[in-house]
Amino acid sequence: MMLSRTADQLFWMARQMERAENLARLLDVSLAVSLLPASRAGTDISAPLALTGTLEAYQTRHGQISASDVLAFMSYDLGNPSSIVSCFKSARDNAHAVRGKITAEMWMSINSTWLEARELAAAGCGYQTFFDWVKERSHLFRGATHGTCQRTDAFSFIRLGTFIERADNTARLLDVKSQLLGDSDSADYYAWSALLRAVGAFEAYHALYRDAPSGRRVAELLLLRPDMPRSLRACFDETYKWLSRIEGDNGRAAKRLAAELRAAQAYTSVDEVFETGLHDYLDKMLADITRLGALVQQAYLEAA
Amino acid sequence: MHALTLPEPGHHDEMLLSSGAVRSHYQHFANWLQAQPPEMLARKREEANQLFHRVGITFAVYGDDSGAERLIPFDTIPRVIPAAEWRQLEAGLAQRVRALNAFLDDIYHDHQIIKAGRIPAEQVFANAQYQPLMQGISLPDGIWAHITGVDLIRHADGSYYVLEDNLRVPSGVSYMLENRKMMMRLFPELFARHAIAPVDHYPTLLLATLRQASRQENPTVVVLTPGQHNSAYFEHAFLAQQMGVELVEGRDLFVRDDHVYMRTTAGHKRIDVIYRRIDDAFLDPLAFRPDSMLGVPGLMHAYRQGNVVLTNAIGTGVADDKSIYPYVPEMIRFYLGEEPILHNVETFQCRNPSELDHVLANLDKLVVKEVHGAGGYGMLVGPAASRAEIEDFRARLLATPANYIAQPTLCLSSCPTFVESGIAPRHIDLRPFVLSSGRETTMVAGGLTRVALKEGSLVVNSSQGGGTKDTWVLED
Amino acid sequence: MRLSIRHVTHYHYAEPALRSAQLLRLTPADDPYQTVRHWQLDLPAAATSGIDGYGNRYHLMMLEGTHDTIRLLASGEVETQERTPCALPGVLDIRVFLRHTALTAASAAITELAHACAGKGTLLEQLGRKVLEAMPYTPGATQVHTPADQALALGAGVCQDHTQVFITACRILGLPARYVSGYLLNENEEHAASHAWAEVWLDHAWHGFDVSNARAPDAHHLKLACGLDYLDACPVRGVRLGGGQEVHTTRADVQLIEN
Repeated sequence: MMLSRTADQLFWMARQMERAENLARLLDVSLAVSLLPASRAGTDISAPLALTGTLEAYQTRHGQISASDVLAFMSYDLGNPSSIVSCFKSARDNAHAVRGKITAEMWMSINSTWLEARELAAAGCGYQTFFDWVKERSHLFRGATHGTCQRTDAFSFIRLGTFIERADNTARLLDVKSQLLGDSDSADYYAWSALLRAVGAFEAYHALYRDAPSGRRVAELLLLRPDMPRSLRACFDETYKWLSRIEGDNGRAAKRLAAELRAAQAYTSVDEVFETGLHDYLDKMLADITRLGALVQQAYLEAA
Repeated sequence: MHALTLPEPGHHDEMLLSSGAVRSHYQHFANWLQAQPPEMLARKREEANQLFHRVGITFAVYGDDSGAERLIPFDTIPRVIPAAEWRQLEAGLAQRVRALNAFLDDIYHDHQIIKAGRIPAEQVFANAQYQPLMQGISLPDGIWAHITGVDLIRHADGSYYVLEDNLRVPSGVSYMLENRKMMMRLFPELFARHAIAPVDHYPTLLLATLRQASRQENPTVVVLTPGQHNSAYFEHAFLAQQMGVELVEGRDLFVRDDHVYMRTTAGHKRIDVIYRRIDDAFLDPLAFRPDSMLGVPGLMHAYRQGNVVLTNAIGTGVADDKSIYPYVPEMIRFYLGEEPILHNVETFQCRNPSELDHVLANLDKLVVKEVHGAGGYGMLVGPAASRAEIEDFRARLLATPANYIAQPTLCLSSCPTFVESGIAPRHIDLRPFVLSSGRETTMVAGGLTRVALKEGSLVVNSSQGGGTKDTWVLED
Repeated sequence: MRLSIRHVTHYHYAEPALRSAQLLRLTPADDPYQTVRHWQLDLPAAATSGIDGYGNRYHLMMLEGTHDTIRLLASGEVETQERTPCALPGVLDIRVFLRHTALTAASAAITELAHACAGKGTLLEQLGRKVLEAMPYTPGATQVHTPADQALALGAGVCQDHTQVFITACRILGLPARYVSGYLLNENEEHAASHAWAEVWLDHAWHGFDVSNARAPDAHHLKLACGLDYLDACPVRGVRLGGGQEVHTTRADVQLIEN
């Protein structure tokens, strides 16, 4: 049993940290792709804006799409609530409010991440270096959490936040790519490689398939494989696991949906995904993830 | 060797006699101090600073949204109180707080002390701190102030005086606890050679007091904070954690069917005792300030029904108002039939024309305070004030005399303190924390010693450059 | 007189409110000048009741779950008598009513107005006339949270403002004074039927004075609640979470059943 607000703040602390990391991964790839011939770069660099729903805010602020403006807007701009520094600030504010419920090491990791991010942003740190640093800080926070946090409901809500956020990000990322590349089983080597790098799965892909990336295999890897920590399948396994550990029967609806998602993902084949069409399939997934987030929110986090 | 600067003449120094000789209860400490290399002590002070920062014993600064927090400076030379002196203080504090609680229960019920003509009715009833919504409410064991902070100073005559009582939401106890922890960590050998009364059981005593405050068998206790932007948030979180109870904000609580509940991941849980660190005016937007976002709508209703206990009670501020302060010795005589053990500071009430005349004629010698002011603001220290400041206060006094009281300038005692130039005397006060329940009036030995770090300054408030020291009560 | 009252309060929110809490002082009590024959509240949710520190009866109503409208209906019949000065001090010490509050804070202008009374009639009549001259009855010029000194500076107001300036002036003169909310049977319909007036402790009794109508309250007046100011005595006080813009309408119909 814990205060709903505390659970809410732990959940969002974890989500914001995860979001910052995913954003860094996405921007990292966008940066790499933007260095490719111009024809492809223009569409790709706006992907982060589309993904975070900030295209309009960006245009009001900067007008034309340009790689450097997009990177600045999504990395360092505190006026953009979806930027990496804003995610860190929000994670830190949530952590501050539950300081008594997290370990000193978790607090110190998250607090110094925010303080340093501010300094890096002010100093105009190079993007490549910044994205690597962001990923490292996220790993550090995850490590501190894993290594010191007591396995109570608090830990479950932190993990739940992490995996709901990650599922959402993976699905979005795949969806944007699939739209850019069309629904066909495209063999655009650069684009799929970039996506694999973004989710840290480049090595795993090659170890598994020993072949140039194709849309079908990338989709299989990121949707259905239980051993890929950023795949939808893995995320659903985890959300089910942590949700089922939470005490009380407030969350029956959320637990039921989590179980359904997990089972569906475990017994779906890649052929079925492509029969439905990758985009339609991901659309449904995104809607389900949003619904799961809302059910968790209703059951535990907000005022009953 | 450390050069100890001699105390200012006309002040009592806690460690040194005016000749420079060390008082007997400080002898052990002084010997130890002289044996320590200055570099080592400097290193320890730096270590203390870093530790405080890392743990986060800081207070938030209003209006700074960068997330910056300031450390309250900590001085490593303790304030030492001999056992016999503390026994006297303890008896005096318990007596005073018992009388204050009796007074509160009386003025919200039968008004005996007013009917007996010992306190003018207007002083109480027309006081903005008297809470009409509390009239006639019976609280368990008649306890209104469960936690009281009493500010004491030691005058040049060597006696302690009560400067003011704090019966609303007194703060600072977390510093008392953390200061002790820090001293034990930095200088364990000192604790081996002195018999020092422990303080670390305060959270246990506090929890027992809060549980006692309820008529319930096994009450659920929470700490209610205005939130993380409050300057004392650290203390709220600290006490909740030490007592093992939930730290809640107003939005975590709600009223249903005459009871207060908190929202948890496992459903609603009923609350019996709220240790609130929010001022009266913000507790319930339906009863007090309608714009309060910090409170719980309907709380006053559940409270009036007797279904939840607030510590401290609503309306205790009337007893620590500066216009009521002069009457505390009278309360002790009236309710307890005893002579006050602790001295009050002589106080002139400017609402009385004769006393106002005296104050106006002696503005350069007196301290003038606003009746409802707090935190060292809105006050004139005559001997240190400029001509213009004095004239400004004269005008204010003539415009609204009832808003002011005046007191002689007190010579706060000093205690050797580390400063830029070495070790020098700085002025200090003492805030013990007194806990009241139906069973007993109790306190841990000592309290929070605050020190004015500016040379010659008498203002010890942390918001105005004050620091803190560990407070040792020696055991026999 | 036998009066029938029907008082509807209606809130409508632009967006759904998540929760709301209402404190209702909508139930008159029996006193020497009024006898409640029957009375009922029709509310959208269950409410608990209590008596506050001033002796007012109130109901506390919590609405949980989203809603975009609240309708409160108070109705009943009450027998009223001519009001005369009342020697019952009430549950609180009289001197409590010497206090200033945020809505009734003393100011130089109110002090001046308080001391300027020298003319025909009783003190209350003179003071009432001064207030009404300084701020003629003007609906819409002030808000519910406008303090007395601001309303006086505007030179306009409704019964709430008249009463608050009036009681502030009385307190400046050392007279305990309180704010009364209630209903008024209106023959000319000029003023809203939901009403406010003052009571001042003079010569060991509460003397009522209806500033807006420049006369002492009588059998046309029905009392709901009293307090130090509007906030203490107003018929409905609420807070909510969410809801956005609010449209608030209130209508009180008071009818004479028999003389």
